[in-house]
Amino acid sequence: MPEQSSHVTTEHDHTPAQGREYEDVAALLTELARLDDQDPRHPALREEIVTRCLPLAEHIARRFSGRGEARDDLVQVARVGLLNAIDRFDPARGTGFVGYAVPTIMGEVRRHFRDTGWAVRVPRRLKELHLTLSQTSGRLSQTLGRAPTPSELAAELDLAPEDVWEGLLAGNAYQSVSMDAAQHDESTLPLSETVGEEDSALEHVDYHESLRPLLAQLPERERRVVLLRFFGNMTQTQIAERIGVSQMHVSRLLSHTLEHLRVRLSE
Amino acid sequence: MNGRHDTEVKVTETQPPSQDVGAQDDIELRLGASLVHLPIIRSVAANIAMRADFDLDAISDLRLAVDEACSTLITRAVPGTTMVCRFTIDDNELRFRGAVTSADDEAPSTASFGWRVLTTLADSANAWVEPAVHDGQGNWVHVELAKRKPELT
Repeated sequence: MPEQSSHVTTEHDHTPAQGREYEDVAALLTELARLDDQDPRHPALREEIVTRCLPLAEHIARRFSGRGEARDDLVQVARVGLLNAIDRFDPARGTGFVGYAVPTIMGEVRRHFRDTGWAVRVPRRLKELHLTLSQTSGRLSQTLGRAPTPSELAAELDLAPEDVWEGLLAGNAYQSVSMDAAQHDESTLPLSETVGEEDSALEHVDYHESLRPLLAQLPERERRVVLLRFFGNMTQTQIAERIGVSQMHVSRLLSHTLEHLRVRLSE
Repeated sequence: MNGRHDTEVKVTETQPPSQDVGAQDDIELRLGASLVHLPIIRSVAANIAMRADFDLDAISDLRLAVDEACSTLITRAVPGTTMVCRFTIDDNELRFRGAVTSADDEAPSTASFGWRVLTTLADSANAWVEPAVHDGQGNWVHVELAKRKPELT
């Protein structure tokens, strides 16, 4: 094992230790499976299991870092995978939870790499610059309470404005997930937040009877981003913080979702 | 079927969307009123806002707003005609104005979802129609929007 582990990147290399580390989760999941969905203890127990297993998602996200994706985005995607694993795991089948969860989470992260990622060949230097800008922007937003400007990014990173501009524009070569691929993906998140307020605002929009089903068909995250931006009056940076991804990712989600809605509304 | 064999060439550049010429920093684009050109227009919009040092939210909002405005115009344009876009920037505001010739004689609805998107992303937006004086048929449809540079604290 020692001489192999340096190049082994499959899900198996860490599994034995993690299996022991998460031994108690099996009992919790068995209990969760016994509870009725409507039982008030169900969401609380599920929450507990999610919290308990978060390090597993973070561990996997870390393994995929350094490939030009923002860490926050990777962690978010890995957590989606974790939720799927918890919801789909069947204790009766006798396999360990970690053995089931790790490939499920890795599958989610791999799908993210397949669906997003750079649409054209962009030099490594630019990818890394773009990633640095995205992360620095997240950090500066925390201290400033708003999105930074290119000159603030330049000052923070000790770069020339031209370099910052180049790095920001490189983001345009970044492909967002195809809407159709996302729609046929069964793993979209369950409705986690009611959007009643935004929903009533829809009443004042023309064709809301055709818009409403289109919004309902969107993957959960895209729908939330659109509703929060256009009916909840939040900025992209605020939305990014709320859903736990980068502002640049929110920008991409909005861009392709609006395009998708425009096409569908004109049909 | 090549569009160039079409003998009836529609000249639509007889009137730019803005007559106040002179601002050295104004940028004007003339391109086919076709959705395939959207990436060019939005990247110009983002580029201008970035160099004017708008914050990242405002840059992205402007990019999305210009995308929306141009989509609205292009879907109303007479096929095969040209869209004219003009960006004007001063110390605290970036303005975009786009126009196409159209068979429509009404401005785009301000109750549509697209208009909601536009007015959320921009600080102000207007749409209006004027008769196209040169060929006597059809109209110019205009969309104008402005994004203010937020007071940074």
